[in-house]
Amino acid sequence: MTYKIGLVLDEERLKLIKGTKLEKELKDLFGGALKMIDVEITEEQAKKLMHLFPRVRIDARGYVEETPIVFRRELFKAVLSKATGKDAIDEILQSEKINEIVKLAKTEDEYLPPP
Amino acid sequence: MTREDVDFVLNQRRLPNGYIFPLPIIFDVDKDEIKKMQLREGDRLYLRLKGKPFAYIEVEEMWEFNPEEIAVKTFGTPEKNSDALKKPLDEKHPGFSIYRNMRGFAIAGKVYIINEPKFKEPYNRFWYPPEMSREEFSRRNWRTVIAHQTRNVPHTGHEHLMKEAAFMGDIEPCRGILVNAIVGAKRIEDFVDEAILEGHEAVNKYGYIKPERHMVTFTLWDMRYGAPLESLLHGIIRQNMGCTHHMFGRDHAAAGDYFDPYSTQTLWTKGLPSYGFDAPPYDVEKGLEIRPVNVQEFFYCPRCNEITYSETCGHNEAQRFSGSFIRGLIAEGIKPPSVIFRPEVYDVIVKWWRVFGYPFVNKRYLMQKEEELEVEVE
Repeated sequence: MTYKIGLVLDEERLKLIKGTKLEKELKDLFGGALKMIDVEITEEQAKKLMHLFPRVRIDARGYVEETPIVFRRELFKAVLSKATGKDAIDEILQSEKINEIVKLAKTEDEYLPPP
Repeated sequence: MTREDVDFVLNQRRLPNGYIFPLPIIFDVDKDEIKKMQLREGDRLYLRLKGKPFAYIEVEEMWEFNPEEIAVKTFGTPEKNSDALKKPLDEKHPGFSIYRNMRGFAIAGKVYIINEPKFKEPYNRFWYPPEMSREEFSRRNWRTVIAHQTRNVPHTGHEHLMKEAAFMGDIEPCRGILVNAIVGAKRIEDFVDEAILEGHEAVNKYGYIKPERHMVTFTLWDMRYGAPLESLLHGIIRQNMGCTHHMFGRDHAAAGDYFDPYSTQTLWTKGLPSYGFDAPPYDVEKGLEIRPVNVQEFFYCPRCNEITYSETCGHNEAQRFSGSFIRGLIAEGIKPPSVIFRPEVYDVIVKWWRVFGYPFVNKRYLMQKEEELEVEVE
């Protein structure tokens, strides 16, 4: 079974995907007010994420939610360079970076700078 | 509650006098501490809040219980309650955990407040005990009032739910919409209570629902997340406050996927025989008077180009926006679009984010809340 992680694109991220194949994968949400790309994630990968980040859950739509911000930032970077979502997520899960991501994710619970 | 009260509640979902009551309310204490005090039945036990006396209990009974047994009997089992429960509750269920972690020794008796605590800002302007809420409804000339139960800041789906549910009414649309937020034990990543109350207030303050038709209040209660059972308690609370109707959506007062997501709506349309309700709670002897308005889903439809309702939109292109989706946007510093989240409600979240350094409940907020509470005692 596959699930999805929705990556919302702000203006900065939209600039970075301009001219890439990701542009074709953009989804309009809420009448174009939000742009998103869906990154496919396997069940096994989702389980690994739920183990690393206890708050991660799969919602009724089949989206993997409550992933830490630091993970989503890394995922976006990986998605820019990899062919598939599975590869992008594997790149993060199998790299040495994952320990740093887990450590940083814990501090997100303490303080996030307000806009 | 006495042992007899609890037995009646667990076996019949009623008090000994026959009126509906769905969940045991147990004042559990440390048995050794009570023994040291040499407390006896008939004594008066004074209670302190923030170190100051605020109430006393006339001790009617002291009794021992098995917390695990109470926890299981409170919610039921899939075997016994197959009309509502899909899987057995466990420690991961926050309500089950409340009962399971009790100390096994209870004091029962009537409670008398002697030094009424004062609510701090912003809670004070949302506090309406039943006598006050009824007076306010009368002042506003609200002949019919529909209750909206919440533990969350409102997105536009909630706003539409309130508007449409009030319109369903009975003979005529409900005159008033009462938002009654449950303030109590929080979970990590909930929105903070201050943002929930002021967020709902922003809905009427900025005219999305006329202030004359919409009012925000709260009730102090640690949710048991008992879905249909909790809905009975909600019916009792809001009926006491003067409400004539109560809206119920999918997964009302639930946590996780233990209960059937429509069990509350089933209770309020047909009954749940396994919990002793062969008919809806307003249609049984010594039942409730408050009437349900069972509502389905609201979502954004790109073809309708608006927030629409699952039972009327025929396009099959629903774009849903869950609480966790909106939390994800907020945490990333992305302002949710106004079609799903009013900018003034977002401003309220940012206001309290600046106060607490984090937009949601975290360990620091919980510790602060434990120490400071929502009240001062003089």
